[in-house]
Amino acid sequence: MEAMEIDAEKNLQRKQSTYLSLDETFEIQKETYRGQQYSQIYFARLHLMRTLLYSLVPHWKSHLKVCTVLGLEEEKECIIVGTLYKHMKLKPCILDEYSKERSAVPLVKPHNFLHLDDHLVLEDESGRVKLGGDMLSPSSYVTGVVVALHGKETGSGDFLVLDVLEAGLPPQIELPLQSREDKYVVFVSGLNVGSSTSNPLQFQLLVDHITGHLGDEKEQGIASQIVHVVIAGNSVEIPSGLLNGQNLASKDQSRLSEPVKELDILLSQIAAGVPLDIMPGPNDPANFSLPQQPLHRCLFPGSAAYNTFRSCTNPHCFELDNIRFLGTSGQNIDDLEKYSEAKDKLEFMERTLKWRHLAPTAPNTLGCYPFTDRDPFLIESCPHVYFVGNQDKYGTRELRGSEGQLVRLLSIPKFCETGVAVMLNMKSLECHTLSFGTQFGS
Amino acid sequence: MNRNGNTRKRPLPTSQPTPSPPAAKQQATTPAVDDEFVDEDVFLDETLIAEDEENLILRDMEERQALASRLAKWSRPSLSHEYTSQSRSILFQQLEIDYVIGESHKGLLPDRSGMAAIIRIFGVTREGHSVCCLVHGFEPYFYISCPPGMGPDDISRFQQILEGRMREMNRNSKVPKFVRRIEMVQKRSIMYYQQQPSHPFLKIVVALPTMVASCRGILDKGIHIDGLGMKSFMTYESNVLFALRFMIDCNIVGGNWIEVPVEKYKKTSKNLSYCQLEFDCLYSELISHAPEGEFSKMAPFRILSFDIECAGRKGHFPEPTHDPVIQVANLVTLQGEDQPFIRNVMTLNSCSPIVGVDVMSFVTERDVLLAWRDFIREVDPDIIIGYNICKFDLPYLIERAETLGIAEFPLLGRVRNSRVRVKDTTFSSRQYGTRESKEVTLEGRVQFDLLQAMQRDYKLSSYSLNSVSAHFLSEQKEDVHHSIISDLHNGNAETRRRLAVYCLKDAYLPQRLLDKLMFIYNYVEMARVTGVPLSFLLSRGQSIKVLSQLLRKSKQKNLVIPNVKQAGSEQGTYEGATVLEARAGFYEKPIATLDFASLYPSIMMAYNLCYCTLVTPEDVRKLNIPPECVNRTPSGETFVKSNLQKGILPEILEELLAARRRAKADLKEAKDPLVKAVLDGRQLALKVSANSVYGFTGATIGQLPCIEISSSVTSYGRQMIEHTKKLVEEKFTIIGGYEQNAEVIYGDTDSVMVQFGMPTVTEAMKLGREAAEYISGTFIKPIKLEFEKVYYPYLLISKKRYAGLFWTNPDKFDKMDTKGIETVRRDNCLLVKNLVNECLHKILIDRDVPGAVQYVKNTISDLLMNRMDLSLLVITKGLTKTGDDYEVKAAHVELAERMRKRDAATAPNVGDRVPYVIIKAAKGAKAYERSEDPIYVLENNIPIDPQYYLENQISKPLLRIFEPILKNASKELLHGSHTRSISISTPSNSGIMKFAKKQLSCIGCKALISNSDRTLCSHCKGREAELYCKTVSQVSELELLFGRLWTQCQECQGSLHQDVLCTSRDCPIFYRRKKAQKDMAEAKRQLDRWNF
Repeated sequence: MEAMEIDAEKNLQRKQSTYLSLDETFEIQKETYRGQQYSQIYFARLHLMRTLLYSLVPHWKSHLKVCTVLGLEEEKECIIVGTLYKHMKLKPCILDEYSKERSAVPLVKPHNFLHLDDHLVLEDESGRVKLGGDMLSPSSYVTGVVVALHGKETGSGDFLVLDVLEAGLPPQIELPLQSREDKYVVFVSGLNVGSSTSNPLQFQLLVDHITGHLGDEKEQGIASQIVHVVIAGNSVEIPSGLLNGQNLASKDQSRLSEPVKELDILLSQIAAGVPLDIMPGPNDPANFSLPQQPLHRCLFPGSAAYNTFRSCTNPHCFELDNIRFLGTSGQNIDDLEKYSEAKDKLEFMERTLKWRHLAPTAPNTLGCYPFTDRDPFLIESCPHVYFVGNQDKYGTRELRGSEGQLVRLLSIPKFCETGVAVMLNMKSLECHTLSFGTQFGS
Repeated sequence: MNRNGNTRKRPLPTSQPTPSPPAAKQQATTPAVDDEFVDEDVFLDETLIAEDEENLILRDMEERQALASRLAKWSRPSLSHEYTSQSRSILFQQLEIDYVIGESHKGLLPDRSGMAAIIRIFGVTREGHSVCCLVHGFEPYFYISCPPGMGPDDISRFQQILEGRMREMNRNSKVPKFVRRIEMVQKRSIMYYQQQPSHPFLKIVVALPTMVASCRGILDKGIHIDGLGMKSFMTYESNVLFALRFMIDCNIVGGNWIEVPVEKYKKTSKNLSYCQLEFDCLYSELISHAPEGEFSKMAPFRILSFDIECAGRKGHFPEPTHDPVIQVANLVTLQGEDQPFIRNVMTLNSCSPIVGVDVMSFVTERDVLLAWRDFIREVDPDIIIGYNICKFDLPYLIERAETLGIAEFPLLGRVRNSRVRVKDTTFSSRQYGTRESKEVTLEGRVQFDLLQAMQRDYKLSSYSLNSVSAHFLSEQKEDVHHSIISDLHNGNAETRRRLAVYCLKDAYLPQRLLDKLMFIYNYVEMARVTGVPLSFLLSRGQSIKVLSQLLRKSKQKNLVIPNVKQAGSEQGTYEGATVLEARAGFYEKPIATLDFASLYPSIMMAYNLCYCTLVTPEDVRKLNIPPECVNRTPSGETFVKSNLQKGILPEILEELLAARRRAKADLKEAKDPLVKAVLDGRQLALKVSANSVYGFTGATIGQLPCIEISSSVTSYGRQMIEHTKKLVEEKFTIIGGYEQNAEVIYGDTDSVMVQFGMPTVTEAMKLGREAAEYISGTFIKPIKLEFEKVYYPYLLISKKRYAGLFWTNPDKFDKMDTKGIETVRRDNCLLVKNLVNECLHKILIDRDVPGAVQYVKNTISDLLMNRMDLSLLVITKGLTKTGDDYEVKAAHVELAERMRKRDAATAPNVGDRVPYVIIKAAKGAKAYERSEDPIYVLENNIPIDPQYYLENQISKPLLRIFEPILKNASKELLHGSHTRSISISTPSNSGIMKFAKKQLSCIGCKALISNSDRTLCSHCKGREAELYCKTVSQVSELELLFGRLWTQCQECQGSLHQDVLCTSRDCPIFYRRKKAQKDMAEAKRQLDRWNF
């Protein structure tokens, strides 16, 4: 499609940046399933968050006593810290598969599981108490969030909430001095190579753009400023019927590995020129529960040969020129959408930062490894860029914290459906989209 | 009869030549048949403990002052001045009526002396005060028919002879006079139609209730009377319990309101009970209010729900002689309130606090037990409920206290210092079978065991509290195995708190069940309708309810009921209800159902069938009754019509059904939910009572069996079904001007299924209504045929087995209705139920027969390919006795034995339910040898036997459904190509495997590889991506399942921060959860092999 003329005088040099991976916390090394349960991750979460919240309470309401759920006294105002649990009427239940009579009339499937009767409960190691009052709206909170509450126990045994304290944005490392240069990071997600909706040409155009094989000099100039590419999940789609554990005919064997091969070819084109991070997503050949472990290198015999190719965990955390990036392939936000409400996806993202927890609904409704002594999803340090992949549409916003933290929120659309990738300028943390269309005007 | 307690105080005289065995043992050996009513005289002074001992207890109480003040705030509201000054009448709802023997009341009955029966009525006033009303002057009596020609002199001589014989029989009784008096009265026997209005009868009044039985014995055997010679007498109404006799004569029904007018009662000089209002009165002064209007309400009685936990030893079910009671949880609710007002738990050793619950910890078990006793006394519950309390919790507490030597513990009743009495009883009735149980009498308090109520009123596959609450409250209850309970108890305050929370839940669930199923309303209404005390309803069978009504009605009519000797079943059986032959098939046109409304009661009313209208064959010849005045029933009996003699049974039935119509009409009007509950309970009680009248006449070992009546009823029933069939098929024909010929495809006891041949539900309904009206016109009133519903489509398998969609209005079907194919049987695994349900759903609702067939094939294929979820294959049976006691070897018993050999600590004990699966074993092994513990199977990869499940579990129910629909169903479903591939797992514990050396094999082709290759053989190297995708997808599926299962269990236990302990094998996901955990570890190991 392109005539590639390389002009020796105008030889463009791709810019570089320093990269530091911070994925270690999301890696599951020696941990195995030895019969541990989920109580421990909640315990670890509560323990860490409580220490944090206790340190904030004196600045919030120093005159009030802090107690545990058990220590509550009727009609006496105090502060309690605990994990929220949302009691939901419509929440799907695995027991229904067995015990419920099959209903004769199929139910209309709602877009989320909220119901007016939902209510919140606060739990600590000592017990549970039902929360009342209008301060804490059940529709915006989910199970697993740790908060401090100011209120009092009423005669009926409920806790009337008068005020809420969330942990708020974590402290942020100072943004490095603004460099004068424009440097770009490209985010893309939902390539879905192998699915019926993916268009190979679109992806090829993206690759060509990144690698500088597309457009005029100006375009190429911009391409040369791309210092990093992040693929945020759902890169391939493997036909599901083929994985039921039986031996496959050779025809099916190739159908299975074909999309992976195709992806490998395209990725090796990128990796040849630009450093590339690939994160696993819900549809990728990776494990299901969070944190998802890196896609196996044997899937990418071609691109894995480059040292610019990095297979990463999901969630993924790294630093580029000391700018901190944190992101997921979208599961955490999608799950919040099923069990709570907000005006847009960016608001969900904002909440997770304020709760200091990437995925509060794990393990309750979001699959998660049963950690025993830690909760890797706690956000200890505030990122400068917080991105989420596989969303319906592109969106971005700047979020400012009370202590001057500045975060760029970024929701990355599915590429196979929208043809959109996102460019982030590291100089200003501004974003713009790259749209690829293959529809030619007729 | 002497009860416990007295021997210590007054040892039996040793001089007695033949010492009678201790009473308690006697009780245990003679099974009390449900229908044999025995009074038991309890001598007041003998049950009470001595004065000095009482002081000891009181002193003891003072030591526990702190506790007493904690409990005191829960005592009942204090009495107003009007009550204390006795200036108002006392109105109360009675719940329990019994009697004791005590000294006759001198103030009220100045002309009597000696021992007499005193009726005690316990109840609650509108304000919530507890009442104990002591009723004096009512005497036990019965009738015999008077020999002809007996004059007043003969009667007094007869009385002397009888007195003499009685004295011989009861030599060491200190009663001055046994037979108080004999009166001549005019009465008539209820048996057989008689032309004379009455005959002379002798009413024999005796001193104490138990003397009725001994007097009856003498008269039965025969007595020598001068001038008449040896003569035996038929006795009448000599089998009526004294308390019931009193209720009948005073017009008191169970649970009604009683009023004692001011100045007609006297406050007792020394209170015998703990009740706030205790007084003496004469039985003639009581005013009994009919349960209507204001008096249909319920008093605010106190309901205590409790549960105990015991620390059992490993491998043994807790026994009171060894294992301590460690926790008791209590909830007290006022009738009519939806939340308990007291929640507390008493624990042995410290226990961390629980929100909203009063936790009381004690250092010794003695203190726990005594605290509970004090709690009972202070809170003074009227009704005590729980799950299996009658057989387990209450006897356990009492036996435990005995073991520990706490003599003052079993003072739990309302009578001051009166010990609780325990006896073994065997309850047997035709309807409920034989059950052994312990009976603990708490004087003045009603016990209501939810387990008994469940077993009585509902047919369920399992009666564990877990599965009952899952069924009715749709809540899974976590189940902590009794071996873990001891561990929790021996832990720290936190683990004991965990146990306390569990114990509280077990106390709370019975209360929720009680509310949800409206047991209080339904049972009180049943007591009111049938006129028996509340406590009879659970502890006795159906027949006493009918007998009570019959006695009441007879009293009005001046009739007496003979005490027929237990005839045994020699009277033979009679032909039961017939069913029209079922024309099996799958009907895709609407089927209209014509039902007889209360068929058997209607027949009895229509044809005036009763004891007193039955004419004996002898009398038919003798009496010359004109033929137009009698009905000859199809079974050949003769009954007179109502113009000669109105039957008692028809009259009772008419009243019951009229009352039901009234209750239903009021129910429609009622707004108040509490009033509605009462009315609904009443209409239900009335319906059940009306239907049980027929059963009473047919109970061959019952109180008053009369095969002539019951066989006549069924014979009329048969005739009516036949008659309906004939009329429908004659009238609704093409010749008769209808579009299609109607066809009766099936008829059962009281319903007929008609296919009118019309394609739409609307038309079928129209014709159904027309037919019902037309045919009803041909019957004698009140027999009525009603059109209720249409089945469309309808799958008729055989008699009593069918399924269909149920329509009552033409726009939308109401539900899927199945009879006889619901696989609630316990010895079926869940797979069968799911499979049958899914197939019926596909066939009837989706109308997709090929889809159903495909579903069956897929399921069978999954089974054979070892892809079936194990929990679907688990079969559960209760272990009722140990292996040696079973005559035939049974799978679950053998398994329990084997498990005991493996590990005695976790093996099931008698009383536990044993879950098992059938595994593959050597050829020819018996089914009972092939049972295995599901967990053991999971842990050791033991192959299950798919053929067993295919042949013994799923094939029959499936073929039943598919045979009417599919040709060659068996061949198609059970032997198709989908049954060809089979996969069996390799056991990891079999003998040969111990010699096998483990070597890695290629993930791709299973070829053995060296340890250096780790994952793939050289041939499969190129397929890495494909094979990795497969491995990782398995891991990912398991992770999904693991997460869902374990978070569900967290949800059930209601805590995120604590580990799940539940071992409820009744829970459908229990095995899946276990399996997910194990599979996950294995899958993770496989995945890790890729990390080279």
